[in-house]
Amino acid sequence: MSAVQLPGTDPAPVTRPPLGADIETGRDDVDTPPARRGPSRLLHRAERYTLLALLLAICAFFSVFPESAETFPTAANLSIVAGNQSVITLLALALLLPLVSGHFDFSVGATAASSSVLSAVLMSRYDLWLPWCVLASIVFGTVVGSVNGVLVSRLRMNSFVTTLGMATLLGGLIQWYTGGQTTTSNINPNLVSFGSAKWLGLPRLVFVVAMVLVLGWYLLAQTPYGRSLYAIGANPRAAELVGIPVRSYTARAFVCGGAVAGLAGVLLTARTGGATADNGTSMLFPALAAVFLGATAIQPGRFNVWGTVIGVLFVAVSVSGLTLAGASDWVNPVFNGAALLVAVALSSFLANRRGAGRPL
Amino acid sequence: MIALEAIGIDKHFAGTPALVGAHLRVRPGTVHALLGGNGSGKSTLIKVLAGVHSGDAGVIRVLGTHWAAPDGTARVARAAGLRFVHQDLGLFDSMTIAENVAFDTGFPTRVGGSVQWGPLRRRVAALLDRYEIDASPRTTVGELRPSQRTMVAVARALQDQEGSEFVLCLDEPTASLPNHESRLLLQGLRRRAEGGQTIVFVTHHLGEVLDVADDVTVLRDGKVAAAIVDRTPTEDELVELIAGRSVDRRRQGSSAGTEAVLTVRDLHVGPLRGLDLNVHRGEVVGLAGLVGSGRTTALTTIFGARKPTAGAMTLGGAAYRPGSPGQAMAQGAALVPEDRLGDGSFGQLSVSENASMSVLGQYWRAWLRRRAERRDTQALLTEYAVKSPGPDAPLLALSGGNQQKVVLARSLRRAPVLLLLDEPTQGVDVASRSDIYAQVRRNAAAGCAVLIASSDFEELGLLCDRVLILRAGRICAELEGHLATADLLTRLVQSSGPSQEVAA
Repeated sequence: MSAVQLPGTDPAPVTRPPLGADIETGRDDVDTPPARRGPSRLLHRAERYTLLALLLAICAFFSVFPESAETFPTAANLSIVAGNQSVITLLALALLLPLVSGHFDFSVGATAASSSVLSAVLMSRYDLWLPWCVLASIVFGTVVGSVNGVLVSRLRMNSFVTTLGMATLLGGLIQWYTGGQTTTSNINPNLVSFGSAKWLGLPRLVFVVAMVLVLGWYLLAQTPYGRSLYAIGANPRAAELVGIPVRSYTARAFVCGGAVAGLAGVLLTARTGGATADNGTSMLFPALAAVFLGATAIQPGRFNVWGTVIGVLFVAVSVSGLTLAGASDWVNPVFNGAALLVAVALSSFLANRRGAGRPL
Repeated sequence: MIALEAIGIDKHFAGTPALVGAHLRVRPGTVHALLGGNGSGKSTLIKVLAGVHSGDAGVIRVLGTHWAAPDGTARVARAAGLRFVHQDLGLFDSMTIAENVAFDTGFPTRVGGSVQWGPLRRRVAALLDRYEIDASPRTTVGELRPSQRTMVAVARALQDQEGSEFVLCLDEPTASLPNHESRLLLQGLRRRAEGGQTIVFVTHHLGEVLDVADDVTVLRDGKVAAAIVDRTPTEDELVELIAGRSVDRRRQGSSAGTEAVLTVRDLHVGPLRGLDLNVHRGEVVGLAGLVGSGRTTALTTIFGARKPTAGAMTLGGAAYRPGSPGQAMAQGAALVPEDRLGDGSFGQLSVSENASMSVLGQYWRAWLRRRAERRDTQALLTEYAVKSPGPDAPLLALSGGNQQKVVLARSLRRAPVLLLLDEPTQGVDVASRSDIYAQVRRNAAAGCAVLIASSDFEELGLLCDRVLILRAGRICAELEGHLATADLLTRLVQSSGPSQEVAA
């Protein structure tokens, strides 16, 4: 029924009431009578904040757990976690935009990686003025997003395969262009210092990310365009028949996602002080897990920005705590994978529970 | 002796009662109609019988065996001899009848697992013969006519039957069939019943009930409103039992003007070969035709969702060439599509989001004004008499008729000059149906031109000022609304050869 028929996505846009639709304005709850009875409505509320509560519980746990109690709850660790997650958060947002319209974009990791290489190379080899480098990287992401968008929406290619192909292609080009070498020399020191500097005890990058997130939230939750994207994700044929230009809106979601991924690449360069020949896959899966976890929170059943942020932090904090408590490197991918599976399982379970007793 | 009996069935969903002490007594060898409005609990009752849902209380007795409703499972129901044919027949169109039948019981195989096609085809041929289906086991299901497809599903469900020990339950078997196909199917079912088959069927079409049913059970709000045994009720009596109130089913006065709002000239697209039609201001025009006659194509093309290969249209006197539904809407057209779930609605989104999708721009002042949106939706829900848990409930939580009202409200709130309706009351109960008719008439009275495609000919006769008969891709006849009886329309849509019956 929905466009989200690709494996993995269809359980997520489950049939739940978007009670969360009012949360952004935060004032609409007051004047409307409760649609459902007390306990059920309470349960609903609880469901929205379950993930957030779990996140806080995990923070509390690692703060008192003897192995990590000394290092975990420190300002330094908090700042490291926040900094490390800034790129992942942007990638999750880049994934989120097309996903709302029912399409995967697996190329966001590779786009960010290539954009990181591009910005680093423009500085180190061509000595370009920093703002031009930033702009070029964002434009690059936009171009990749446009290509994906045209392929998926105009040529009606399957987004799963198309963007996987794009990701592989970009990964290969990175290998070819860098020859497997890391680019660290002659990176603009302003960028590097921006990547490591702090405001109010938090890395500056976090503020950039927060700004982009607010923009993303505004786009999805507060504009007709965002609402239309949700409609397209729910039923593209019906969307067409209520006058939504489905193909161009879908393409634009890919373009926006690409631009955000391009910006994520610049932040990656700023954060690491250079660019590696990595193909970005390692960044894709934490972002994917966060987006799916996010669909179980705030607006359960819908991909949404603030749920995604909680999802990112949930995974990051858990991994950080486990690492500080002495777990090895393999914990990271294992936890990401498990979180993704649990998120998808949880949303299908909720969908089934709710779907009982109803046609379809 | 009772073939199927359900006593005191209760069922709640999340605190909401769906069935309250419902009962059903089906005599063997009879056709028993189960009637009720949308959300009256008839589907729930069928599902409790089938063991899809377990009841909260009650007892089910089938041909000598009985079980408590809370213990019901699909296996128990099947073992007792209950067989179900659902509205979605569960047939694979591109596969042969033999394959479809074998998916139910398993393919007969040789040692090593290869299929014994010979015995399978012989068995299926005998089955088709018994059920009077004029087709070979090698025929693909897609080639069959609609009533035959339903019969194949029936034959498949009853294939293990020896004698008459099964009870067959059909859930809205005629919902998506055109009139004459329904008739063929019902005649077929009637003959099965004469041969001793016990049949329970759910329907919204009261004419069918009067034609073939021996007994009738009417549900309303989860309770049995009436159980009529061995007596043919009047249609008005049934309507009143289903709706719980008297429903005005008379023709409304016409509001047709003389000024043409929509003209279509020599339109060629898909099955249409030179469609010509006019719809005037305030006029309700019906479009009757067989499945595949191009009814839906005509509407979607006028709505800009399909590009015509030739032809010209005008809307409100000006040339009209919509390149997309968006452009058609901008010029004042609105469409309520045929397939509500597939084309009409966003099931996972809320009622409010569904209702405002056509007018999103008017809620945007740098942010979406959700409070205004919800208030307007609440007003629409009241105006259209939609039963719902509220604007925030997902659309899927509403029953079919109420979903349809939301979809209609979404189109009508734009105050269109041209309203295109494709099967506006498919799967909608009598009460909601009359609400929908009233809304359509009210808009026509306000000057909206309405074009309705429907396979429910009674509906066309009741609602339309004129009915156009679409055959072989063009309009072949035209009837005044009050002359458009279901019988005459059935004859006209099927008759072949050039006929020009224009009744004045």
